[in-house]
Amino acid sequence: MNWLIINAVSWILFFFGAAFPVLILLKAIGLTGFMKVTRYESYHTFYYRMNPAVKIILGIMVMVVASVTIWWIGAIMTIAILLSYLTLKDGKRKFITGMFLTIMTVIGTTWAFAPYTPYVILQEAFHSNHLTALWVWPSYFTVMGYQPSLTTQGIIYGFQISMRFTAVSLMSLVLVMTSTPSQVLRSLNKVGIPTSLTFSLVVAMRTVPRIFEYIDTSVKIQFMKGLGSNAPSILRPFYMLTGAFSGIVPVIVFLVRGAKDTAISADTRAFRAYSKRTYMHPMTIGKVDKMALSAVILIILMTVIVVMMGFGKGISYNG
Amino acid sequence: MGFNGISGILNSPGEIPWEIVVLFFGAGLLFVFLWGRKTGGLAKFTTLDLIYIGIGAAFAVVWEFYIGAFLGKFIPSNPFFGIGYTGRLIALLIVAGLVRKVGVGMVAMFIFNLLSDLISYGFSGEPMYFMYEMLTYGLMMDIVIAAAGPNLFGIKSPERRKNREKDRSTTPRGFEHITKMPAEYLAAIEGILIGLFWVIPEPLFYGGFISPFLYGGVVDWGKILFDMVAFIPSAIIIGAIGGLITLRIVKAVGQ
Repeated sequence: MNWLIINAVSWILFFFGAAFPVLILLKAIGLTGFMKVTRYESYHTFYYRMNPAVKIILGIMVMVVASVTIWWIGAIMTIAILLSYLTLKDGKRKFITGMFLTIMTVIGTTWAFAPYTPYVILQEAFHSNHLTALWVWPSYFTVMGYQPSLTTQGIIYGFQISMRFTAVSLMSLVLVMTSTPSQVLRSLNKVGIPTSLTFSLVVAMRTVPRIFEYIDTSVKIQFMKGLGSNAPSILRPFYMLTGAFSGIVPVIVFLVRGAKDTAISADTRAFRAYSKRTYMHPMTIGKVDKMALSAVILIILMTVIVVMMGFGKGISYNG
Repeated sequence: MGFNGISGILNSPGEIPWEIVVLFFGAGLLFVFLWGRKTGGLAKFTTLDLIYIGIGAAFAVVWEFYIGAFLGKFIPSNPFFGIGYTGRLIALLIVAGLVRKVGVGMVAMFIFNLLSDLISYGFSGEPMYFMYEMLTYGLMMDIVIAAAGPNLFGIKSPERRKNREKDRSTTPRGFEHITKMPAEYLAAIEGILIGLFWVIPEPLFYGGFISPFLYGGVVDWGKILFDMVAFIPSAIIIGAIGGLITLRIVKAVGQ
């Protein structure tokens, strides 16, 4: 009996370890939440006045700092960037969505590392031979690359690794939320990427939030038609998932059909008639950008000092 | 620590010699350059093609980072089937079917990679990933497109044309040389071919070169070979389904 319970629980953990908590969060964010954090909305606070190129530099800086320093520096940056979401338009909503997204990343990454990280690495990271087992997997789980048991240290280690990714994702979304696609296009053209490619990119940037919007509409229509209407409410997220899945191909067809209108409107405005473009609003480096760039330099200097103090990453990630 | 998260390690145990990788990428670029000159290449893409590429890349990104990333949580990491691979393959097949020009694979992978960097990765490890995505996944797709010629996925098969243009009883002019194979079979076969080609990059190029080059580590060739072979069955199934979905969508768009 005991054997059966261990096997059953292990397999449930194996399949749904990260999925259930993430499902609950997904329900909380909703498809409109995804749409909100991938779409530009006009506003006036400092992120909106910043040159997109500077935002890209900020993103790269956050990525580099998170990857060379100890985990809690990544955590501090994550919290700082998340708090800066409050300055965005409809900031509270974006802050909450950003927080849920971060929690999803943390859960997903932790679960991706916790059962697999070899004991040797954990022992080295925690400077101790003593590991606390939380759950002992059936012995055949090692075939799938699992360690014999799930340990507290494995979970902590996975959590610390996740702090390398969260800040970068949040910073990258800032670029998408606060710059119009055409601003991004201009800064990329300055780097020398051809107009035809940046045009495709801009179409892609504008399409991402629209995909969520249309899938959301498709799911709602399916619900109106009675999808899952007799099912208990606890199963609703699964029906939402089913609806979203079956909505994908119709949404592709719908978007691709609209492509012709976009092409006509671009061509009638003489797109690619000349190899170079001129712009009504030139991209400038303003006061906000200078402040942001000084912050970048300051943070890089601080990182160098922190690494010199011994808070670099190395294998002993735990601090 | 090296430049932008790239350690630049060339002598990890078992790593593919960089000369071979450079040779492959060089040969690939040469092929595309020569073929591009023959067909017109990037300059030949119409505005509509560029929009199709953008939409396809957006779908690949939405799948990779949101929908697929979530569905993937229900399927444990395994060497036989990949959720990310599935969505990306189908999205790119659809773009290839709509555009049908050599170079579409690489341009679409470029946009996909650039967008992924903008919304999530923050340009970590670049420009290695641009080279990797474009010159493996993108290039392999372009090779199949170049080999398939004008009748990619059977979109211009005489039978389809005939059904579309019912008033004509003979094969439309200009398409006489095209194979008589039913469009569905051709779509499935070419989808499978691209699917099989796409099995190679992740284990071989990423595991055997890019990953040790960026981060170091020992290359396990047993694992690389096993991962490639284990993935083939699902690649065949997904490739075939992807080819058929593409044919459907192209039809729905009215091409």
